[in-house]
Amino acid sequence: MNGEAPAKASDDAAFVEVLRFLHREAALLDGRDYAAWLGLLTGDIRYVVTARVSRPAEQGPLDYAIVDEDADTLGLRVRQISDPKLTWAENPATLTRRFVSNLEVEDAGAPNHHVAHSNLLVYRQRGTAPDGDFYAGRRRDVLRRVDGSLRIADRLVRLDHNVLFDGSLSVIL
Amino acid sequence: MDDVRHTARGESWVDAAAGTVSREAFVSDDVFRLELDRIFHRLWIFLAHDSEIPSPGDYVVRSMGSVPVLVVRGSDGELRVLLNSCRHRGTKLCRGEAGNARHFVCPYHGWSYALDGRLITTSYDGHLPPEMDKADWGLVPVPRLETYRGLVFAAWDPGVPALSDYLGDIAWYLDTLFWRSPQGMEVLAPPHRWRVRANWKIGALNFIGDSQHVRTTHAGPITLDRVRSEKDGFYVTGGDSFQVVTDRGHGCTLTYLAPGMKEENYLTHPPALGAAYAETLGADQLAMLHHLRVFVGNVFPNFSFIESQVALGEKAVIVRQWQPLGGTEMEVLSWVLAEREADDGYKQRALRHGFHNFGAAGVFEQDDLEIWASATQASDNPIAQRYPYSFHSSLPFDRSPCEQGRWPGTTYRPSNTEVAQFAFMRRWQAAMGSPDRA
Ligand code: FES
Ligand SMILES: [Fe+2]
Repeated sequence: MNGEAPAKASDDAAFVEVLRFLHREAALLDGRDYAAWLGLLTGDIRYVVTARVSRPAEQGPLDYAIVDEDADTLGLRVRQISDPKLTWAENPATLTRRFVSNLEVEDAGAPNHHVAHSNLLVYRQRGTAPDGDFYAGRRRDVLRRVDGSLRIADRLVRLDHNVLFDGSLSVIL
Repeated sequence: MDDVRHTARGESWVDAAAGTVSREAFVSDDVFRLELDRIFHRLWIFLAHDSEIPSPGDYVVRSMGSVPVLVVRGSDGELRVLLNSCRHRGTKLCRGEAGNARHFVCPYHGWSYALDGRLITTSYDGHLPPEMDKADWGLVPVPRLETYRGLVFAAWDPGVPALSDYLGDIAWYLDTLFWRSPQGMEVLAPPHRWRVRANWKIGALNFIGDSQHVRTTHAGPITLDRVRSEKDGFYVTGGDSFQVVTDRGHGCTLTYLAPGMKEENYLTHPPALGAAYAETLGADQLAMLHHLRVFVGNVFPNFSFIESQVALGEKAVIVRQWQPLGGTEMEVLSWVLAEREADDGYKQRALRHGFHNFGAAGVFEQDDLEIWASATQASDNPIAQRYPYSFHSSLPFDRSPCEQGRWPGTTYRPSNTEVAQFAFMRRWQAAMGSPDRA
């Protein structure tokens, strides 16, 4: 979904449950509690981050993946940035603060399955750099209830970036 | 140009006898401006792969040093490289990075150009004096444009040698990556692009042959690699490994399986494509590829390539343009390629695995970039610049090449010295010192 409203909005109970879930998740990532964060994923997670090709508006948006992970490769990525002995990009750790907003939850027709669209703004500060940077984008999450609690089964982060700044993306969005 | 030259402090930044290079070369904006004049606005610069613009009207916007250019496929199917700046008052014809056009219309006053750059109309042709010939006012074409194995290169100096002469012996190695199947390679997605506050030469040096950084910089992905472990000798340089230096400062590093490494863990090339390679490559090139684990190199000045099988499955071919933005910043463009003959599933895996390792969020890339930026930052001050960079571990080796005649270029062992890096720096110094040294 890129701008258009969800086909059918969820009821308030689902909306609140998803909002609570995304806020909790953001707190875990900002707190670098990656072990707990991995617990929020389904075993068949797909995690994709895209950037945008700048081209004539008549030709429509064109996104391309800069991250495309399954559970296995996402696990490798997270282990690398969570172990101080295995990362230079995240040691000293970058500081992040995530803002999740503009949530729209689709009624996916099943109580154990939600499709959530949210805006994401991540402030990130590296080392002793005097100023921080921002990643901005819109996420589409497919959330599934597993053993009574919501898990992320599919995440697509469409970044509003063309040329990325300051080296490599080394945090989870 | 002499005024620019004299503002750069060193006449010579590279001390060939001592094995050192002034740090000024890696931070100074004066050096950068001289590089634009002597290197980027003169020599052959890699711009694109022809599979990025397959149809008439397709274009991408790229840079040659500080010069923005359109790489466009004309209605006649021919590639052209044109200055992306209106002949009237300079406006960019294309303000994005890619697209398809029937012609280029300037958004300012409406001058309109054909895909081949010809000026069609100024919108006010009736106001033009008779002595203004529209044929002289087309988009500026780059004087030299050649494609090698799908790789598009252009040069602003009309006097540069033919591209095949410029590439020389490195072409044989490029063939083993970019022409190893009858249909050749294709780009699998638009390039990743990112800026990093590091000098462009650090990227070129890292790719021409910096085996020494792998264990320290990339401790993360190496430790997490489950199949190809340190115990298996994977990260020990195999005895067959070697470095190549060719004329004009090109070079590459070939790292082979070490003895005792379990071959089945190192699917060197997809079996389905093996037959295709035999159709295209010579026996000596096939022998070169056999058991090759990491293949990385640089074409002077700023075109790099790597094929590596690290951490994950498919061997992805990745190419780079290190685009200088100043003494202390560059933009990196990074593409993933595969053989056109490969099936879609293979291409998707190669793409995913390729940028999982090397790209805007690569698990190898992120640690390289952090370190390159810190090297640039810590050298960007006059005190640090009293102390040159060390390339000493080239000196004991660069007078004693090995196996002359077996492989093109000049070859050296072991593969984890700084021979190729220092050859790049000597070539860079020669190009900076004399505008005639194409
Ligand atoms: S600047 Fe292009 S038409 Fe005037
Ligand atoms: Fe590296």
